[in-house]
Amino acid sequence: MTHDTHRPDGATTDSADTHQSDGTTTDSADTHRSDGGATIEPERPDPSTDTAVGRLEKFADTVGSPVVVDAAVYLLYAVSVAFFVFPVLWVVSASLRPAGELFSYPFRLLPPEVSLSAYRQVFDAGMVTWLFNSTVVTVLGVGGILAVSIPAAYAFSRFEFRGRRGLLGVVLMFQMISPVIIIVPLYTVMSTLGLLRTRAGLVLLYVGIQTPFSIWLLKGYFDTIPTELDYAARIDGCNRLQTLRYVLLRPVAPGIAVVAIFNTVLTWSEFVLAFTVLRSESRLHTISIGVYKFQGQYGNDWRAIAAASVVGMLPLIVVFLGLQRYFVKGLVEGSLKG
Amino acid sequence: MATADSTTEQVLTRVRATWRRLLEQPLVWLAPTLVLLAVFQLYPMLEAVLMSFTDESLVRPGAEFVGIQQYARLATDPEFWEMLRVTAVYAFSSVVLHVLLGLVLALAIDYGVRRGLRGHLTTRVSVLLAWIVPGIIIGLVWKVMLVESQFGAINHFLGLVGVGPVPFRSDPTLALASTIAAGTWRGTAFSMIMIYGGLQRVPTRLYEAARVDGAGRWHRFRHVTLPQLKSVLFVTTVLVTIYALNTFDLIFALTGGGPGRATQVLALFMYQEAFQDYALGRGAAIAVVMLAANLLLTGVYLYAFDISEEV
Repeated sequence: MTHDTHRPDGATTDSADTHQSDGTTTDSADTHRSDGGATIEPERPDPSTDTAVGRLEKFADTVGSPVVVDAAVYLLYAVSVAFFVFPVLWVVSASLRPAGELFSYPFRLLPPEVSLSAYRQVFDAGMVTWLFNSTVVTVLGVGGILAVSIPAAYAFSRFEFRGRRGLLGVVLMFQMISPVIIIVPLYTVMSTLGLLRTRAGLVLLYVGIQTPFSIWLLKGYFDTIPTELDYAARIDGCNRLQTLRYVLLRPVAPGIAVVAIFNTVLTWSEFVLAFTVLRSESRLHTISIGVYKFQGQYGNDWRAIAAASVVGMLPLIVVFLGLQRYFVKGLVEGSLKG
Repeated sequence: MATADSTTEQVLTRVRATWRRLLEQPLVWLAPTLVLLAVFQLYPMLEAVLMSFTDESLVRPGAEFVGIQQYARLATDPEFWEMLRVTAVYAFSSVVLHVLLGLVLALAIDYGVRRGLRGHLTTRVSVLLAWIVPGIIIGLVWKVMLVESQFGAINHFLGLVGVGPVPFRSDPTLALASTIAAGTWRGTAFSMIMIYGGLQRVPTRLYEAARVDGAGRWHRFRHVTLPQLKSVLFVTTVLVTIYALNTFDLIFALTGGGPGRATQVLALFMYQEAFQDYALGRGAAIAVVMLAANLLLTGVYLYAFDISEEV
């Protein structure tokens, strides 16, 4: 894995710079006043040391020598890597065992004899169809989300119109509504529109549901781009669409990447909407539905269930390991307004 | 020929001018979003409320207005209150664990980056790895982890030290704890990334000033980092709460709500009522209760964090 290049000192100087450039004075007296009245006191030998909090503070300060903290942080890294990676390894390991073989003592992650028979079962059950359906739905869904949310984010960032803030608030409010809540009426809506059991219906639904968060993220990126760029383009004779396409799209690209990656993960993984819209139309089933149905059939065949899980998560993991750097970078640099 | 060309030219110019004028209208840019939101979010929400006052059913055409009967039925159903409790326990534990673990990990990774420690990237990628696994598959992964045979990792290792097998999925309390653990496995990444992003935006001069004043590590965290993270923590907590309150896929696959109704959260209950018992009206009433809980909690957080001017 390559190391992030923009990291160590770049990050710190960056944030200091942005703060100076936004016009605030930077001498430390001013800093002091601006941090919300929370005065920072030096180590105080006052009675409060007797309270639990006081003792905790003292403890934290004395134990906080760099070596101790470094060691604690390394320990935390090790524990979290184990906690977050081990289940995945275990499932991969379980899926590779020959039929009937249990985990033996002593424990070995790779079985002495690797068998792919569990994977054969999964592919015979229709895994290729599920993967294909998920890919189609994800590509169309993410494309649709971008096509709808980029213009909207542009409008919220670049137009001044009455009720702009209010409308943005309303759009964001929908982000607070989980699609699970409206699943019951959604069923009747989809039924009325003739969209039940169709792929188009599912894609439209994803676009409708995931757009608010995408708009919010993208608007943050648009806001960071100086409007002078727009004016220059307009003077050169660009209309607004051309301005967006030829001038603004490039600087917003990291934000678009974040939105695309985020929505790819959501769309690929989504279950309850797909399950409700596609119903029993098994030739349209996505990976989540397929794997769920599969485990219903194979009950206690843990090898087969493990194999199905591996196939279901592998594509995303591969894509994400390649792109996660841009994802985190985009999120951190951009203005996930917080 | 020449005249034809100039008329085409004229038409083209007029089209271009109209297009240009159209593009000056914000509504043109917002129209697709507004239409989609109206059809797939606003209308269903209103419809949910209307539906909850009827006895609409999936298997019988037509519906009658029944007033608050569905709500009355819920309120007098002891099982509903039990499910409300299960949902609250699940959501509360999840929020606390996600946000705390996310905060600790974000601080640790930030610290590692600043001090040049090795392994912060591996840690970050590992946590994110869990987040991108589809919910249904997380349910299955943890099912395999917790199974009461040699295939279950936890019981495998407990067996090595002579303990167990522990009935993780058939004991009511353990089953609920298992869903919370699996939920935390998935959800921590989101809080971690949000808070990590927030940490990058704390101006370093604040830390320098605090250091000049002689503030120790704890004081710097308490009086510089935390206040600066306030709005990020707010947004994260709200989103995590909503996410936890409406968890469906993971529990659906891991325990299916069982044993009995030990892990039957409201989302699962609603789904069952609507699509397995075909009682859309009853399902809608549960949906409205969930909606109210979502809005109420968002309101409480807005008040508690007191950052209305920042969000």
